[in-house]
Amino acid sequence: MSTTAPPFVELRGVSKSYGGVHALTDVGLVVEAGTVHALVGENGAGKSTLVKILTGIVQADEGEIRIDGEPVQIGDPQAAHRRGIAAMYQEPTVFPDLTVAENVFAGRHLRTRWRAVDWRAIRRETERILEEFEVDLGSSTPVSGLGVADRQLLEIAKALSTSARLLIMDEPTAALSPHEVENLFAIARRLRERGVAIVFISHRLEEAAAVADVVTVLRDGRHVATRPTAELPQAEIVRLMVGRSLDALFPKEEAEIGDVVLDARSLGRRGVFSDVSFHLRRGEIVGLAGFVGSGRTEVARAIFGIDSLDQGELSVEGRRFKPRSPRSALRRGLAYLPEDRLQQGLVQTMPIVKNLSMAVLPELTPGGVLRPRRERSLARRFIEQLRIKATSATQIVRSLSGGNQQKVVLGKWLAAEPRILILDEPTHGVDVGTKADVHRTISQLAARGLTILMISSELPEILGMSDRVLVMREGRLVAEFTREQATQEGIVRAAAGVEAA
Amino acid sequence: MKRVLLMAGRLLARWETLLVIAIIGVGIWSTTLSPFFLLRANLLDLLTPYAFIGLMAFGLAFVVIAGEIDISVASILAVSVVCFSQLYDKGLNVWLALVAGLVVATMLGCINGVLVGIFDLPSLAITLGTLAAYQGLAYVILPGEGVAAFPEGVTKFGGGYVDNELPIALLVLVAFAIALGFVLHATRFGRYLYTIGSNREAARFAGIPVARVRVTVFAISGFMAGVAGIVYLGYFGSARADAAQGSLLDVVTAVVLGGIDIFGGSGSMLGVFLALVLVAELRNGMQLANIAGDTQNIVIGVLLLTAIVVGNVTRAIQARGLPSGLRRKGVIATATVTAGLGTEPEPQELKGR
Amino acid sequence: MTAENLAAAAFRLREVGVLAALGVAVLFFTVRATNFLTVDNWQDIAKDVAIVVVVGIGETMVILTRNIDLSVASIVGLSAFVTADTLAAHNGAPLVLVALLAMGVGVLLGLVNGLLVTVGRVPAIIATLATLAIYRGLAFQVTNGEAISAFRLPDSFLNIAASKPAGVPTLAWIALGVALVGAAILRWAPWARDFYAIGSNPDAARVAGIHTGRRIVMAFAMCGALSGLGGFMWASRYPTVDAVSATDFELDVITAVVIGGVNVFGGSGSVLGVVLGAVLVATIQNGFTLLHLSEFWKLFFNGFAIVVAVAINALVTHRVQDALRRRRRAQVLAARHIEAEV
Repeated sequence: MSTTAPPFVELRGVSKSYGGVHALTDVGLVVEAGTVHALVGENGAGKSTLVKILTGIVQADEGEIRIDGEPVQIGDPQAAHRRGIAAMYQEPTVFPDLTVAENVFAGRHLRTRWRAVDWRAIRRETERILEEFEVDLGSSTPVSGLGVADRQLLEIAKALSTSARLLIMDEPTAALSPHEVENLFAIARRLRERGVAIVFISHRLEEAAAVADVVTVLRDGRHVATRPTAELPQAEIVRLMVGRSLDALFPKEEAEIGDVVLDARSLGRRGVFSDVSFHLRRGEIVGLAGFVGSGRTEVARAIFGIDSLDQGELSVEGRRFKPRSPRSALRRGLAYLPEDRLQQGLVQTMPIVKNLSMAVLPELTPGGVLRPRRERSLARRFIEQLRIKATSATQIVRSLSGGNQQKVVLGKWLAAEPRILILDEPTHGVDVGTKADVHRTISQLAARGLTILMISSELPEILGMSDRVLVMREGRLVAEFTREQATQEGIVRAAAGVEAA
Repeated sequence: MKRVLLMAGRLLARWETLLVIAIIGVGIWSTTLSPFFLLRANLLDLLTPYAFIGLMAFGLAFVVIAGEIDISVASILAVSVVCFSQLYDKGLNVWLALVAGLVVATMLGCINGVLVGIFDLPSLAITLGTLAAYQGLAYVILPGEGVAAFPEGVTKFGGGYVDNELPIALLVLVAFAIALGFVLHATRFGRYLYTIGSNREAARFAGIPVARVRVTVFAISGFMAGVAGIVYLGYFGSARADAAQGSLLDVVTAVVLGGIDIFGGSGSMLGVFLALVLVAELRNGMQLANIAGDTQNIVIGVLLLTAIVVGNVTRAIQARGLPSGLRRKGVIATATVTAGLGTEPEPQELKGR
Repeated sequence: MTAENLAAAAFRLREVGVLAALGVAVLFFTVRATNFLTVDNWQDIAKDVAIVVVVGIGETMVILTRNIDLSVASIVGLSAFVTADTLAAHNGAPLVLVALLAMGVGVLLGLVNGLLVTVGRVPAIIATLATLAIYRGLAFQVTNGEAISAFRLPDSFLNIAASKPAGVPTLAWIALGVALVGAAILRWAPWARDFYAIGSNPDAARVAGIHTGRRIVMAFAMCGALSGLGGFMWASRYPTVDAVSATDFELDVITAVVIGGVNVFGGSGSVLGVVLGAVLVATIQNGFTLLHLSEFWKLFFNGFAIVVAVAINALVTHRVQDALRRRRRAQVLAARHIEAEV
């Protein structure tokens, strides 16, 4: 690492907010050429926002970006490309119908003297890059047949052919076998020798330890520490990731915990999760923690009938239940609040009223005829109960704030009077005030006898609200804690598979 | 006072109002072409030749609102008509034959529905295929000149008059407009259509039986094509396999011009009805001006395109405000989606990973 | 058989499949129909195939970009008339120039389509449905209800359809030439390669810096040009040209293209596929005629073929890929947990 030349990329005082939510606050980052720099943090720590800023997808509200010491503006993805910043995500963007070589050179074909596409040169150049970095791909292979690992290699080849100087790898190893991970790391090391800078984002801390020179820890949108990997054992990283004071008060009411209402035995879905067994009791709030990709949402979706279960048995209130569709799940008393509330939870162009009544139309419409009055009174009830801030029940949902949108989604499901409510990141992207409202509601519901399974990546929320905490990792249920046993560190360690220090 | 003005403003800006204004405008133009235009008999009879188009358009509107498209409606009409005609010709009771025709039409619609709704195939490509397949079927069933002599009981639907003045076809059209309008705007099924057309995933997650609704909506489209066939028979007096050849343009125009969003999720039956009136009026006027049918098609085609382009422009302005911001946000939005980072960069949505 | 080999095979499978189907069809009709394998018959087939191939290559370019052009038949009709009209008025006009004129007309009409889709943001299906009617109406205007009859046209022109140098109809030679040029363009022209990228992943194409708008307009323009040429050829084959020439021809073209393995979702397709598809469709239709089946089964067959081709494409490719992907992930997850326990 040079001491005289300025770092390749430097961020200073970068902040970014969405609505009332601070994604990044005063974050600094220094990336030197020829290093592998790991970026770690919980879900919501701000990693992906940082990536979006570096790749020009969003603009920072404050702060400055410097490349080679000069302050720059990265206005859009093309600008980022031009400056040599390339990113590679879990799901690589490729042209499935084209070959590897064509993918690498899409849009910038090498030309012959007569301005025709020079396939020989393209093939040669692609093979040269592949060979140089010992990437095991054939240049003429159709991409549609390639698995995720190979597609990632393709993205890397593409980045290299555009002389990228910074390669950001965002959770690249989630879908890779151990062998493929090794392969990827070998390539990363070779890139490093060539002076390419790599920012490596992963929640698998053992990987960060294996391949990175430097580790930066983010927490709640702030920079916590940057240290050489050698000086930072995994347990210490975990401590830095979660080290926050739990002074947020959660209005958790006491609820009487009753019989088992949901019993899951060895649930499995090919390629996503397996052997998941747990039970839920009436009045309980059970938190489900784990990193992205651990399978939590997938389990919820399978229970709710959105995706199919390949194995396992489910019983609800003592009777066997085969979730065939959301409809059947609804009828059994289940409800699911999806993580992506905009795409999956609301019809944005419709008013609050119509969104609230969406799941209970059969009950509200005897003989199939709509009853606007009943819908309106339903809407009034929930707007009041959930304290939804809107100009009227006919306000279009799109124009509501994130928090209020979430309340509408919640209201929609509450209207269906479910007995088991599965919440997927219920306060994601929601401002503090609304968060408290949502928590209060959840707590009240449990007190009234509802059972709640809460998927969340916010540890304070999990710890504050849950009677029990389940932790998933890589598609399996790996730990269970009672309210007394659960700690931030304990949960993250289980989620990351790290031994206690 | 201000509130009244505000309400009036909102009313004026509605698509249906624009259509009414256009109808009045074209009406004035038609009067200049011929003083007979304003005669009551003429006005009442305006829609009669286009009643069958309107009926098909009503059915198609349902499909489009649900987020799909069905370009095989004209072919379904053809099959329905020739089936009825052949059955009647071979001796079957005329009313049974009529019902058979309707059943066939509905079944052909169901086939579309199953392919699109259950097998999840793209409705455009599929109905393009069934357009050809059904049309071919119609020719096979009735290769040559059709049957021409139908009992008055049947032809009155398309060609009959009450008191020699009020066309029954108009009554049929209005009756279906009201009935279907009711289904669309006042029933659970209609609400399902709008929901599915706006956001199919959210609809599914909310427990709406999406597949069943989609199959049904294509069946309705087929059924309406069958009804249109009956009216067609009554008005034109003969059944031929090339019945309704070339009517697809008017049907699609009536739907799109009627304010039904081609991408699904919005529109009203009243709009389609008004658009039909406008199209009928225009064609009628062009006929008065001695403009040939094929040339008229140019005008209708241009009208269809204008309706969409105008719709796109207004939507773009509503969503973004300034046109200069358009392209850049498009790039960013698509890049975000491409990068697998999630949905559009909603300002209030935080996706921290 | 690794997943890679499987995919490479699937790549080539489409053309092989069409070839196989063609073989079956030829066998079937040779046995069941008389006069199927005669030279005369095949020369006839070749003439029909020729025009479908020429227009089909243009249509393919549009479909590659995930759009569609329903107005090709109207463009063919209009340019056929322009061809016939020009030649009727100027018997001595050089045929090549007239052909270029026809193509020019086609390019203009294609440009309009392209602009409607890109700038006007009108979905291609609606835009070309509208222009199908508009261009047909223009044809009507231009013809004034009259037909141009064959005897007004120069012999040199009519000869194009009649002559058979080396036993192969001239029209087929023209089609062959166009096919070779078309294949060359799709292989070596950078802007044509962009068509594939745009159809395969429009968002990624934009991010990669491809001017998708410009390319799509180009695709429609090429389609128009080739439809214009097709119109020129049409006029020589069916010399009584009037306003309704080539009505419903678009279905023949689209069927040939779809059967020939061009993916309706865009991103893949080849000239060879179009040629094979056109030959297969023409063969089957010819066979039907020889078997004395109603000519209207032809139309039914076209439609049925489109539905089947789309269904096979959607169901097979997507389901297979999905299943493969899940199996791999299951293996990955299992491996991870094993290594963690070790």
